[in-house]
Amino acid sequence: MSAEPVPLPYRRPLLRSVLFLLAAVVIVAFPLVVTNKFHIHLAQTLCYTAVAVIGLNILLGLSGQMSLGQAGFYAAGAYGSALLSARLGWPIGYSMLAGVAIAGLLGAVVGLVALRTRGIYLTMATLAFGFIAEITVQRWTDLTGGTMGVLGIPSLDFGSRKMGGAFFMWIAGAVYLTVQILSDYVFSSRYYRVLLAIKENESAARTTGFNVPVWRTAVFALSAVAAGIAGVFFTHQSAYINSDAFTLNLTLSLLVATVIGGLGTSYGPLIGTIITLAIAEFIASLYDISLLVYGSILLVVLLLVPEGAIGIMRRIGAIAGLGARRLTTPQDISGSSMPPTAATAVPPARTGGGPVLEIKGLSKSYSGVKALRDISISVAPGTVHALIGPNGAGKSTLINCVSGLYSADSGCVKLCGRDVTVEPAHVRARLGMARTFQNLQLVPSLTVIENVMLGVRSQRSWPRDFIAWLVSAQYDAVERRRAYELLAAFNLGHLSEARPADLPYGHRKLAELARAMAEEPVVMLLDEPIAGLNDAEAHEIAEVIGTIRNGGTTILLVEHNMEFVMRLSDRVSVLDYGENISEGTPEEVQRDPRVVAAYLGTAADAVSTPAQAAQ
Amino acid sequence: MSTANFIQLALSGFTMGALYALTAKGLFIAHLATTRMNFGQGEFLMIAAYLSMTLLLAGVPVVLVAVLVIGVLALMGWGLERLALRPLDRLKSLVGGQYSWVLTTMGVALIMQNVATLVWGKSAQYSPPLFSASRDNVIKIMGVGVFVEELLVIAAAFLVVGLFYVFLFLTRHGRAIRAVAFNRETAALLGIDVTRSTVLVFVIASVLAAISGILVGPIVTVQPHMGLVFTVKALAVASLGGFANPLGVLAGAIIFGMAESFSNYFNSAFGDLYPLLVVLALLVVKPSGLFGEAKADVR
Amino acid sequence: MKKIGATIGAILASAALGGTSHAADVKIGVVMGLSGPPAIVDFGESYLQGMKLALKDYSAAGKHKIEFITYDDEANPQKAVSLVQRLMQSDKVPLIIGTVSSGNVLAFAPIVQKAGVPLIAGPSIASNITSQFIDEKPSFIFRCSMVEKFQIEGMLDWGVKTFKKIGLVHSTTGYGNFAAKEIADGIKARGSSLVAVEAVAPNVSDLTPQMLKMKESGAELVLDFHESFELVFRPMSKIDYKPTIAGNWGLSSLKVRDIVGAKEIEGTVMGQALDLSLDAPKAFVVRMEKEYGKDFRWPVVAALGYDAAQIAFKALDTAKSMDAEAVRDSLEAVDGIKAISATPARPYGPKDHECLDREHVFLGVWKDGAVVRLKD
Repeated sequence: MSAEPVPLPYRRPLLRSVLFLLAAVVIVAFPLVVTNKFHIHLAQTLCYTAVAVIGLNILLGLSGQMSLGQAGFYAAGAYGSALLSARLGWPIGYSMLAGVAIAGLLGAVVGLVALRTRGIYLTMATLAFGFIAEITVQRWTDLTGGTMGVLGIPSLDFGSRKMGGAFFMWIAGAVYLTVQILSDYVFSSRYYRVLLAIKENESAARTTGFNVPVWRTAVFALSAVAAGIAGVFFTHQSAYINSDAFTLNLTLSLLVATVIGGLGTSYGPLIGTIITLAIAEFIASLYDISLLVYGSILLVVLLLVPEGAIGIMRRIGAIAGLGARRLTTPQDISGSSMPPTAATAVPPARTGGGPVLEIKGLSKSYSGVKALRDISISVAPGTVHALIGPNGAGKSTLINCVSGLYSADSGCVKLCGRDVTVEPAHVRARLGMARTFQNLQLVPSLTVIENVMLGVRSQRSWPRDFIAWLVSAQYDAVERRRAYELLAAFNLGHLSEARPADLPYGHRKLAELARAMAEEPVVMLLDEPIAGLNDAEAHEIAEVIGTIRNGGTTILLVEHNMEFVMRLSDRVSVLDYGENISEGTPEEVQRDPRVVAAYLGTAADAVSTPAQAAQ
Repeated sequence: MSTANFIQLALSGFTMGALYALTAKGLFIAHLATTRMNFGQGEFLMIAAYLSMTLLLAGVPVVLVAVLVIGVLALMGWGLERLALRPLDRLKSLVGGQYSWVLTTMGVALIMQNVATLVWGKSAQYSPPLFSASRDNVIKIMGVGVFVEELLVIAAAFLVVGLFYVFLFLTRHGRAIRAVAFNRETAALLGIDVTRSTVLVFVIASVLAAISGILVGPIVTVQPHMGLVFTVKALAVASLGGFANPLGVLAGAIIFGMAESFSNYFNSAFGDLYPLLVVLALLVVKPSGLFGEAKADVR
Repeated sequence: MKKIGATIGAILASAALGGTSHAADVKIGVVMGLSGPPAIVDFGESYLQGMKLALKDYSAAGKHKIEFITYDDEANPQKAVSLVQRLMQSDKVPLIIGTVSSGNVLAFAPIVQKAGVPLIAGPSIASNITSQFIDEKPSFIFRCSMVEKFQIEGMLDWGVKTFKKIGLVHSTTGYGNFAAKEIADGIKARGSSLVAVEAVAPNVSDLTPQMLKMKESGAELVLDFHESFELVFRPMSKIDYKPTIAGNWGLSSLKVRDIVGAKEIEGTVMGQALDLSLDAPKAFVVRMEKEYGKDFRWPVVAALGYDAAQIAFKALDTAKSMDAEAVRDSLEAVDGIKAISATPARPYGPKDHECLDREHVFLGVWKDGAVVRLKD
């Protein structure tokens, strides 16, 4: 393998920092230059609303969770800060921080629901939560004052009538800018990849080593924090709040802002908030049709321009030839490339003596059907162990139990001697178990190289990662190079920027294999790696698997193709009706009459033919 | 609490429960076949209530009112699927992923609400009774006064639920819908017109909303905001049933309605909150409802 | 249907005119609750109807060319504050009228007071709207609407005198709880007590459980302080219980009569400021019906809107300049008003910024389909 150039996305941290600085200057100058207090008021509202929308954007756009209860977290922040400052006399600074903390806490609690539910149930649970929050805030008048509200809330103006609006704007603007920078970071970092994986392909995320429920809850809580931040600013802007403000309409307007700007982009929230506020002001006098306008916007944007304003801008930009993802020149990459074999070498510390993977007495049944009965298989290190059997024998079920996606009814699974039977899938992945799927689990929204990078283990803690992003153009060059090398080993280097949907089936299988290899696993579970491929492609994969095995990785594979299995495997186990009916070298198994009977039927089942009759 | 009061409360609860069941079934059948549903189900109910009210006040006979209102809403259901849902398939929108339909149906709901306020005004309105001449038609059962209207609502609701079951399990179209629910592609390969089934479920959902709207008008006051509360409660009820089990939906609805009624008796202030909180708690414990089953797609 | 055409026409017109219309001499800012729950909208639209009729009357013969700049605050305090800012900073109005939700008024009143622009609050009824600012020198907050405290006091005086057992049904909103507290204190001060109190959620649709409780307690008079006023009436025939109902001015809405039934609402008592047995109010109702048809549904609220606008116009006519401070002074000194409601000829004074004082609020009763003054 030659030292091919690794394509990096277009990054100019210096330019980015300059733009941020420029934004800060605008925020500082705005209230000094503009004299109309109403316009300053609008700018303040823009800053803190955009924060809430950024949170919602990451929640919905990246992690794919739809929350219809953001108004509840907004209210938690608002009332938290209001009550602490107005009733208990806390200084504004502390009450605001406390308000945000309360919103975050509530987000974590509701996030427990997110932990357990997904899809439509989560949406409904959040809708119910928002409803309950609205009602509670309205009726618990002892605490919140209900529709009469909380009076005497201090304004965030440092006591100055003249400069009060400016001070507020600067603080709100600073908070917005910070949140926007963090959002940009998320979108450029591995968090982006992980979240999209969680959104589009949970099984892949879990088996690549990510604790999906925890991630989802964390994102949920963070979006609640964002809403809470908006809530505390809201409170101290009006110096008065009551329960009328925290209705489903608030949630809907945040959703509209998220969608109209461009869901799943980092600057969509800013643009979307600007547009939504502008529309609200524009139709203030056309109050009879405001719902009509909002409803129509939702429909028009989602049906005609689903990418939102940012999408439109990108299309225009593409036509004008700007802003395409430019690749840097080869000289930018330092360091030499590594041959694939070395790239897949397993650190000696991991492989001890003894079997790498041990399955003992594994059983699993679904609603009465026993899919696996007391399966015991031992996989020796550095070997290819194949699992064959007729359809419905339980091979995929076994792989799913071993990798942790299903929990077995009884039995145990040991990885390098360590019992992982009760460990969830992501823990097993982190301990060195990688897998591929029969029906291909790549993340459609990520490019091929980003899919592979999902498997690459990050070396840095997140503060250092953040600083690296901020200052260095080489930010993720190491991970990228690693992923690229793996792809190049499969001759897929030129396709690294393509999307999985653009690739032919065979290449997609290779890409998935590359991702599994990126995890530098101790054992790889391959579920029908050559299904659907032609002979040439199958041959290629066989070679790759052989190379991986020679490098020290252990492989357990499920396959139908006899020739492939016999040629490649060191040991074979045969499953039939959930039972392990034979085990041994390929030659031994091939001759075992029970195996022949399972695949071809017994002599009694055979249709009588002249050839047989002659025997 | 006296027996008379108990029966009184149980009957009110049962009535509202029956109505929630009808509304929720609309959500259920749509979700069953397409994993989407109409988040504006409550608004559809509201439009039906307004239309029915207007026609009844104009003196149109009840049967004709039912036919007309059901017809209009069936059309609306068709329109919803065609204009707000089917285009999403074509776009294969990566944006919002599988939730775009929540926002589009919600957009339609907002538009419906505004249309209602433009046509009928924003105040609460009174809808005349369907089955009785005056609004005071009370009969006594076991010493307890009951509005004849409410009894007939319960009867009508159960009748419709019965017809719903017959349709779903005994007719060809019903079986087609269940096949599509099981696996779209396989159903298509078996020669079932998947598109037609999809349209059909949304039409049925709207028809159920229509019937609920017609029945509910005389019992509550009709106003443009009544939709959302019904949507939330219907969703709560449908999730109790696990979105997989029609019997579960009915059971969940009756339980919910009664819980609400008794909860309101014991604590008027927060009464209607408690059933919702319980449903929320239930979702945490049993994420796929009382009768549903969780599955991970790991083939 | 006509309304849709009118609305489309309005949209096109305002789009065409681009917001800037013919040069009006003076603009009055109006912030009103015109969307949201019926409890808000009925108030807002009725008040605005009265105001618009007054504008029509004034424009026929008035000194200035006056125009309303009307915004809908959607019962949302944030929006209300934002709109008031807009009226003061961008539209630069010398006078503001509004809004329905007392919460919203309490939200922007301090801002308006600080900025020095006079406000005629209405139809909000919270007791402390003007009293909070009355000691300011000067106070810019006025009101032309019912005051909750006065109607409760009137009702309790009569109730304790006439009935032995009194019950209360109230909503759990700020408004309902506030009223409940005032009633509880007032009853105790009059040496009596409530036999039953039920706090009800605002968007509940059936009050059977609560009315059952009232019946069990034997209440002869039930005080109805729930936003959906009609709900207490519905279960009464089912559970065979027909107490007298009394509540705030919400019970005088024509819509409530339509929903409940003229027969059922006969004898119901409420706080009032408009006696339809008098000639001027009668004539007013006829004119409103002609002008608005079926949309006219609340005589007393519309009457107060009419009077509020009248007062505003008179103030502008007699003001030394169109400066906000001058308008305020003129407002405080306005005299010679021929009010439709019980507002006196000189509504305000240096220490009184209420149109309706205690002596102007009386109790009304439904009689033969109209609300007249209750005879003691």
